[in-house]
Amino acid sequence: MRRLVRLQERWSSAPYAIVATVALLLLAGIGIILQNEAAYRDLQAQETRVQADILSASVTAALDFGDRQAAQEAVDTVRVNRQIRAIGVYDQAGALIAGYGRDGAGPPPRFVEPLPPAGNAVTATVPVISRSARIGTVFLAADPEPLSRRLTRYLVIGLLVVMAALVVGVLGLGQSALRRVNRILAERAEALVRANAELKVQVGERTKAEDQLRQAHKMQALGQLTGGIAHDFNNLLTVIQGSADMLRRPALADDKRLRYADAVVQASARAAALTGQLLAFARRQPLRPEIIEVNDLIRGMTDLLDRTLGERIEVKTRLSADACAVEADRAQLESALLNIAVNARDAMPDGGVLTIRTAGLEEAHAGRMVALSVSDSGSGMDEDTLSRAFEPFFTTKATGKGTGLGLSQVYGFASQSGGDVRIDSSPGEGTTVTLLLPCSGLAGRQRQDEEELAGPERRRSGRILLVEDNEEVGEFAETLLGELGHKVTRVRSGEAALRAALDEGFDAVFTDVVMPGMSGLELADRLAELRPQLPVILTTGYSDEIARSGPGGRPVILKPYRLETLAAAIDQSLGRKDQ
Amino acid sequence: MNGGRLLLALALLFGAAPARAQPSEDSVKAAFLPRFARYVAWPPPAAPAPGAPFQLCLIGRDPFGRLLDRAASSELIDGHNVAVRRLASAGQARGCHLAFVQGVAGTDTARLLLALRGQPVLTVTDARAGPQRGMIHFTIVGGRVRFFIDDAAAAERGLVISSRLLALAAGVRQRR
Repeated sequence: MRRLVRLQERWSSAPYAIVATVALLLLAGIGIILQNEAAYRDLQAQETRVQADILSASVTAALDFGDRQAAQEAVDTVRVNRQIRAIGVYDQAGALIAGYGRDGAGPPPRFVEPLPPAGNAVTATVPVISRSARIGTVFLAADPEPLSRRLTRYLVIGLLVVMAALVVGVLGLGQSALRRVNRILAERAEALVRANAELKVQVGERTKAEDQLRQAHKMQALGQLTGGIAHDFNNLLTVIQGSADMLRRPALADDKRLRYADAVVQASARAAALTGQLLAFARRQPLRPEIIEVNDLIRGMTDLLDRTLGERIEVKTRLSADACAVEADRAQLESALLNIAVNARDAMPDGGVLTIRTAGLEEAHAGRMVALSVSDSGSGMDEDTLSRAFEPFFTTKATGKGTGLGLSQVYGFASQSGGDVRIDSSPGEGTTVTLLLPCSGLAGRQRQDEEELAGPERRRSGRILLVEDNEEVGEFAETLLGELGHKVTRVRSGEAALRAALDEGFDAVFTDVVMPGMSGLELADRLAELRPQLPVILTTGYSDEIARSGPGGRPVILKPYRLETLAAAIDQSLGRKDQ
Repeated sequence: MNGGRLLLALALLFGAAPARAQPSEDSVKAAFLPRFARYVAWPPPAAPAPGAPFQLCLIGRDPFGRLLDRAASSELIDGHNVAVRRLASAGQARGCHLAFVQGVAGTDTARLLLALRGQPVLTVTDARAGPQRGMIHFTIVGGRVRFFIDDAAAAERGLVISSRLLALAAGVRQRR
């Protein structure tokens, strides 16, 4: 910009410079012509003089011996030059000895110094010297070059000057046009800068508005989520609390007590599933992939689905023999299927058919995959709903009926497992949700593992160091472990656990991961150095650290855990220590 | 030759010509004699030494008298004065640069010229005195004093006559 302005300033003085240049050029041209003319006249004078000199030399003897004829012959040789106008050869006394005059203009009859000027002619007067004595004079008058010839000679210079002036003039015109364009350009640039500044301000305002809107959306979503979760949790808590209250009643029949205890267990399981879904939605839940035969999993789930979906929904399965095994988190896959099925049920309030299909297929980029599709004969979705189906917290259900996290969980699980989800739906046509998962090459191992896990019951007892900062959970775990027949020492921090482990001999350490100060993982690492033989079992509801770096080969029990899970894990650790 | 004399006589008779007086044949010849020296180069040993005069010798008869003395005195050739020597015989001609040779009788001229042979002397003769010719031989053509030049004879003596003088001659015997 500044450069443009400076350029313009510099160029604004250009017209004067151009006029001056043209004037200078013309002056130079005239100067050259004048100088040329003067030089030419000099040259002609010199030439005339040389001719006079030659004549003077050739008439010396003729003058010496008074030979007019010889002198005239010498004169005649000179007059061959057509430019010579008059020639005179005079003796010592100034008398004309020989001469020549063209067109009647003869030489002066007597030589008297100075000779009268001979018009525009170029004249030369040369003494005739014989052996250092002057014996006469030669006079020569020559025509200057005709004006037309001179003009033709100067025409070349004139043309050059005119051409140069023309070039400069054209340059000047171009420059003025350029200047005009530059000015327009500068104005436009300025306008552009202004527009840009304006735009920046607007963008800033827009960004601010968008931020505010996003914040509002977030708050709204949070409200929806909290509402949904609170509703679900309250329902579950109602069941748990009510059942616990009933269990407290004295003289309760055994079958009733068992029913209430089951209710507590079921409600807790659903609550755990709910938190699992939340974590899956946030895609922060550590997956525990295992090899799953998809067809087997679906067969195993049909009973559950029948019960969950109610009598008005008929569940059909069309399982293909091509369906391969996949490597996935079993709980997440089950949860995803359940979520899709529940959505299908809600789409068929008056009942219908739910079809679960499997198929093997070959995807161009991902290789062999298994397609697990769930179709309903329900109301279907319109374009708008379809486009937002995977959006977290988006739900078409009444407040409190759904969290809006179902399909989000499905999507999160699928993408985390290297697969994909597709929905085909149109209003009145029903909906098909297809879960695509990559095939695993390791089929059939899972069953073996399961058998090993479910092996013969070997109840061992030992001295367990329990590390837990939360008072309630700690007390509960201590009770559970005591019930299982272990001798339990409870500490409330990693540091205390380290001291206790060094002082006393323990058979196993059961530690929480997330604790203030030293974390469970750090504790496990330190113990691995100090007591390499001491088995460590980790437990956590959710841990960033484990999600990031893994448990380092140690068993992890996820909260909330069941008595059986805890018993099995402790047993396994003690068994490994014994070996 | 007769025409020339007649003209000369006429010129003498009506001496007062409108422009200027017509000079006599002898005075013209007397004026010419020293001037010849201007157009002749002598071989170095024969050329006059610096400061020494240029010697114009009259051998035999003297037809010019004071006319020649006057012409010679006004002449200056390359810084040399012109000294006129009048000699009776060729035997005294040593040192002469230019010699006007005219015997008393016609055969005398031939004898004198013969005597000067072998010397670097520019010999001048006059047709009036006889047909014997020196290197320069005066004659009258169209009433004007002209001269023949024997360049071949001059070359034999090592003399070089300027082409300008040759150009004025009525005839030239070319050198070989």
